[in-house]
Amino acid sequence: MDFGRTTVIRDLSFDIRRGETFGFLGSNGSGKTTTIRALLGIYQQTAGILHIDGRPFSPDAGERLGYLPEERGLYKKESVIDVMVYFGKLKGLGKEKARRWSHDYLERVGLADKEKLRLDKLSGGQQQKVQLGVTIMNDPELLILDEPTKGFDPVNRRLLMDIIDDQKKAGSTVMMVTHQMEEVERLCDRVILLKDGVSRAYGTVAEVQEQFGGTTVVVDHDGAIPASDAYTVVRDANGRAELEIADDADVSGILHDLVQGGLNISRFTPTRKSLDDIFVEVYGAENGELDR
Amino acid sequence: MKRHNLGTVVSFEFLRTITKGRFWIATLFVPVILIIVFLLVFVSNSSTSESAAAQKDARFSFEYTDASGLVEPAIVQNLGGKLASDDKTGIAAVKGGEMEAFFAYPADPSKQPILVYGADSGVFQNGKYSSVAESILTSSVEGRVDSPQYTAILQGKVSSTTTTFANGQVAGGFNAVVPALLFLAIFYIVILLLGNQMLNSTLEEKENRVTEMILTTINPTSLILGKVISLFMIGIVQMLVFALPTVLAYFFFRSQLNIPDFDLASFVFDPQQMIVGALILLGGFSLFTGTLVALGAVMPTAKDAGPIFGALMVLIFVPFYTITLIISDPNATIVQIFTYFPYSAPVTALLRNAFGTLPLWQAVIIIVELFVLAAIVLRIAVRLFRYGSIEYTNKVKIRDVLGRRSSTAAATSGQAVER
Repeated sequence: MDFGRTTVIRDLSFDIRRGETFGFLGSNGSGKTTTIRALLGIYQQTAGILHIDGRPFSPDAGERLGYLPEERGLYKKESVIDVMVYFGKLKGLGKEKARRWSHDYLERVGLADKEKLRLDKLSGGQQQKVQLGVTIMNDPELLILDEPTKGFDPVNRRLLMDIIDDQKKAGSTVMMVTHQMEEVERLCDRVILLKDGVSRAYGTVAEVQEQFGGTTVVVDHDGAIPASDAYTVVRDANGRAELEIADDADVSGILHDLVQGGLNISRFTPTRKSLDDIFVEVYGAENGELDR
Repeated sequence: MKRHNLGTVVSFEFLRTITKGRFWIATLFVPVILIIVFLLVFVSNSSTSESAAAQKDARFSFEYTDASGLVEPAIVQNLGGKLASDDKTGIAAVKGGEMEAFFAYPADPSKQPILVYGADSGVFQNGKYSSVAESILTSSVEGRVDSPQYTAILQGKVSSTTTTFANGQVAGGFNAVVPALLFLAIFYIVILLLGNQMLNSTLEEKENRVTEMILTTINPTSLILGKVISLFMIGIVQMLVFALPTVLAYFFFRSQLNIPDFDLASFVFDPQQMIVGALILLGGFSLFTGTLVALGAVMPTAKDAGPIFGALMVLIFVPFYTITLIISDPNATIVQIFTYFPYSAPVTALLRNAFGTLPLWQAVIIIVELFVLAAIVLRIAVRLFRYGSIEYTNKVKIRDVLGRRSSTAAATSGQAVER
């Protein structure tokens, strides 16, 4: 994907499997939103295409797609219910069905008494809820959410996550752009990490964790930890050490060797590097300062 | 394009406009003003005729001299006047306050004025003196004509009907011009009233950040077409609202409002003129709508679009500076330029069509030009909206949007597919 002479996305290709939640990760300016816009034809892509079930995507082709963009907004001078019914009709719902669905949704998100108000009379968070409703009202098979929790307070964020969870249970495939690594670890089956328009990691969360730094072991101990090729002592203070395990080393063998070496061990916990740490590692080194 | 989506856009855009209070305030403003003007004319006409009648019948003391010999003494006596010995005496009596008025009838009233002198009774009341003086002379002369028919003719109560011929056929004349001119009136009303709305129709998506949501839900062509159709429907509603008071006034208050009595049956509806007028109107509307929609897609805000919008509006008025030439010398170079330049063509061609100076071959060229250009501009507008409206706060570089290779070409190379 080029903008003038600048190439923003290069050789990017990935699959999202039916029913999974896919995390699309990257720092600000890494090309996530641009990729989505190009896939959906909002930007005219220099090359590339979005296939859904093997067919090129088109908004008129009848695929049930729900897209919650990063730049959000609806017709502010219109009433909540009118806007929801309009989008419902555009998405193929009948007028009455769209109206019923909207009533139920607004009831669920606590906006039932606001349905006749103009959108610009609602708070930012309330408008976001309406926008999410518009996004999912056609029961989408593919749900693309660009920073869905942006602008939500913790209570509404939980509500939003519940709604996304319900969609997933109902069989939706979810693609989520987010900076919230805890959400990714909790919700996503697979992820892709994008940096400067190029994929830096792609796979399940465990595979990505494996790819970036493998396993770390936290050891609570008395005595000195001996040096070994099987691990590197990252830190060791106040009786707690953190060992970074070498790629080809066996964690249980290390525990055996340490005990045999006479070390008194009260805790030995292998952990994987968190996505948060991986994110900092990938983007922090070059960006200097992260905007997350 | 899904047809139900086009219908959905049309009904949403139409209903959300006509259900707004501000739409009706703006739409009813013109007819309300018209009604107020009609009422003022009505009141003014009534009071004018009442005051004229009252002044004619006003009673005051006066004297007169009559060099013409036309004044009937009996009529003067009825009004309480009497003959003065000479002008000087009469004027002196008025000056001295002994008499309210003095009239000196000249030897030849058809060429010389009646000299009227009176005691000042205010700007509005002073008119009674001349009214009475003239009324005495008119009544005196009418009495000498012993025929109601002559009297009516002398009072100017005559009418005429004119029949002219062109190519051996009865020419329509003014009655043929009026129906075709209606298309020009409709064009002006639609563009002036809806131009701003056309511009804002796409700016709204941009300013409210609706673009991404809408573009993944509906084909941009359906969206733009839906907006254009709904604007046309809104224009029709506005025209009906505007026409209503005029029609009511014509049919029910024509005499009170001094509206000329048009014989509607005498209007000539020349089929060719009417079809050409309708097509030019439709082509012109499409061209201006497409251009304004494209402008909305390119500019970040209505304020930024203002100067170009203003220039377009000026273009529809420019032909009026040469209206005399358009009617009298349609082959003049400037008229020809205005006839073919797309943004001045609708007004110029509609005027020429109404006055019968637009040959059929020229009309065909203009209609084709307007429709082809409108289609091109609408297509560009859709493209600009599709790829330009995402530049929410930036001004879109048209060359960038149009310069991007066509999706069809990309699809051929196996890379991208046009929606």
